[in-house]
Amino acid sequence: MRRVQFSKLVQLGILPVVLFAADASAHGLREKGAIVKVADSSLTVTPNRNWNRLGGNRGKNTETWTLDGEQLNDVTFYGGIPQGKPLVKERNKKASPLPKFTSSTLPIEIPELLEGTYRVYKDVAAFRVLSTEPITFLGSSGVVFTYEYSDKDELVRKGEARAAIIKGKLYMVTFDAPRLHYFDHAIEEYHALAATATL
Amino acid sequence: MVRLRIVALAGAVLSAAIPAAGLAKAPVPPPFSGTYQPQGVDEIGMWREDDESERKLAASPLVIHDEHLTAYVKEVLCKAVGNDRCNSVRLYIIREPTFNASMTSNGTMRVLSGLFLRVRNEAELAAVLAHEFAHFERRHGLKEFKSRRTGTDVLAWGSLLASMSPSYSTWRNYRSLEFSIYGNLFRYSRDQEREADHLGLGYLNNSDFQPQAAAAVWTNIIGELEASVAVKGLKKPDFKAIAFTASHPPHAERAAYLAEMAAPEGESRDDGAARYREALAPWLPLFLEDQVKLNDFGASDYIIENLAVDGWSAGLWFARAELYRTRGNPRDLVNAAEFYSNVLKLDDGLAAAHRGLGLSLLKLGRQSDGQAALKRYLALSPNASDANMIKLMVPGE
Repeated sequence: MRRVQFSKLVQLGILPVVLFAADASAHGLREKGAIVKVADSSLTVTPNRNWNRLGGNRGKNTETWTLDGEQLNDVTFYGGIPQGKPLVKERNKKASPLPKFTSSTLPIEIPELLEGTYRVYKDVAAFRVLSTEPITFLGSSGVVFTYEYSDKDELVRKGEARAAIIKGKLYMVTFDAPRLHYFDHAIEEYHALAATATL
Repeated sequence: MVRLRIVALAGAVLSAAIPAAGLAKAPVPPPFSGTYQPQGVDEIGMWREDDESERKLAASPLVIHDEHLTAYVKEVLCKAVGNDRCNSVRLYIIREPTFNASMTSNGTMRVLSGLFLRVRNEAELAAVLAHEFAHFERRHGLKEFKSRRTGTDVLAWGSLLASMSPSYSTWRNYRSLEFSIYGNLFRYSRDQEREADHLGLGYLNNSDFQPQAAAAVWTNIIGELEASVAVKGLKKPDFKAIAFTASHPPHAERAAYLAEMAAPEGESRDDGAARYREALAPWLPLFLEDQVKLNDFGASDYIIENLAVDGWSAGLWFARAELYRTRGNPRDLVNAAEFYSNVLKLDDGLAAAHRGLGLSLLKLGRQSDGQAALKRYLALSPNASDANMIKLMVPGE
């Protein structure tokens, strides 16, 4: 039997080449001054400068914004993670499970939850929580914490996150950037953005 | 017709180029020839690439730059393979909680921190290090590269010739040649591992270490994997099966032949367990923390219990307590509270244990006991990084 050429089949229209429709979650622009909903939830922010929203999601209620690219500054919104769920979508539920946000998770344990998620999901071996302080976030008593980790690309990154548990759901905004220059460069932008977060 | 013959000839050439390496018992280590410089364009090129990756490794934030631990591991290697051999090795300990060690052609040995939790004494550590050194002594990196190059060269020519033929049976013969060559390449890798196991055990037999430790390492790894999948609800792996693409022989086979080849007179030798525990002591809490935070309950519990065979220390109880508290089911919290109490019986000044106990008790609904433990935590470390958060949970602070 002759092997039929692939291109011939396409020409005859028997094997149509599927054109993918424009991806609904493509990269987008988040404009200065416009109130936007984030992370598929009732969490809204009002950026005071233009930000880029990255397409593709790490999880159902997550959304990532950046100024210079994910590896240089990464602001991730977690909009209402329900109880019993991990922060991001597990790559393999059985073989490499992520730690879950549960009904008994205390606000002081949220840094541990993020640490465990990063260690398993990002394959990070060295993670250190530097400080954990109480704060009012989204009108509720929450926690702000800073951390430092060595990522798989051998870069040391610093991070800061604000989180609160409201009506049994976890809301959090994290900011990760390389320790050299980029963290200090964009930390105030992150503070400004997180300050406008409302539920 | 001609093409079929070429394909068959290629197969014959190939099986000659990739010899199987099968040995029946542990060889006596050959005499050491002194400092070796790479010869031939392949080896020089490989060493140059390995030197470059070693330069990057030396600057990596993931390397544990502790001269005491590095010197200790190097000393164990030297005791296993001999001083003249071990001087050609540069050792790097990398902070990664997996069980692995590797050696490149130019003498860079990488030991991942997860290894330290899976060996219980110097003899077991020596077994792994000797295995890696055997790869280096037998120049497996270079040999595997050459075999892969030969095999893929044959496939490249074979695919070109087969695609020129109008007959489907030539194409089928090419496909079976492809399977055969890939199968040979994967088996070559497994045979190299077997050879490294054999020579590594030869070093151990000749050293002052207990050679029975080599098989013990693999028996423990099998136990850990079984414990891990049992909790995860996955199917128990078959430790005897060889996958087509397996780069190493199956664990059960390795445990079996390593046990068989161990010299019986070596059983009475010192296993160096006390020295090992002492050398690891400064790093054990950190390595245990890295392991517990991997969220692999079965494996972590198995490892901790394995390390506790010679006695439970405060650090081991603490790691176990953190493991159970992190999983956080009500029955886990009850166990966690008990384990934290065991820590405090051995070391009442460990602030983190008071913190863990307090959080566990609070989550179990025992408010006053929990708050008392947290008060003790604040008293012991008033400048803790989360002191202000804890104060909110404790009335009157």
